[in-house]
Amino acid sequence: MSIKICWLDDLAKAQEVARRTHRPILLDFFNPN
Amino acid sequence: MGAVTYPDEKAARFIDLNFIPVQMPVTNAELMAKYVVKWTPTLLVLDGEGREHYRAVGFFTPDELIASFMVGKGHWYLDNEQFTEAKAMFEEVQAIYPESEATAEAIFFNGVNLYKMTHDPKVLRAAHDVLVAKFPKSMWTKQAAHYRLINK
Repeated sequence: MSIKICWLDDLAKAQEVARRTHRPILLDFFNPN
Repeated sequence: MGAVTYPDEKAARFIDLNFIPVQMPVTNAELMAKYVVKWTPTLLVLDGEGREHYRAVGFFTPDELIASFMVGKGHWYLDNEQFTEAKAMFEEVQAIYPESEATAEAIFFNGVNLYKMTHDPKVLRAAHDVLVAKFPKSMWTKQAAHYRLINK
């Protein structure tokens, strides 16, 4: 079964998850154009 | 990255297993300024407080992304003083991607990590010797050059 990255778009929410789960965040800045 | 690397099954699985993935467009001026991002793609490893532990700029193939961010996660462990986990991550990069430039960085920082674990300077000399043998032209080999003065 293929896997797709479930990107979050809310860094504050990701930080809360990171604190709770003790996992690092991968933050990707991208140019949508 | 969005066209080639992120759709790759192996890269996606690696990111899913190891990180909380967040994407931010360059239109987010506040975060661009906070993290001093001037070019895309820029990828950062952050902790739950938003502190930066690792940064990479530019395009990565799936394998280079995995190798580089295995090193990034190793840095995160090292900064958190999880030395056993950092050692495992740095050594895994060397085992899976022996030719990658990221591996030179993994060897350098595994030396640092082992020194933090043991306080034995010989581990820094050992890291230097491996770098000279495997990555003679790497910047990490140059940055480890002074470890050659440590007795074996």
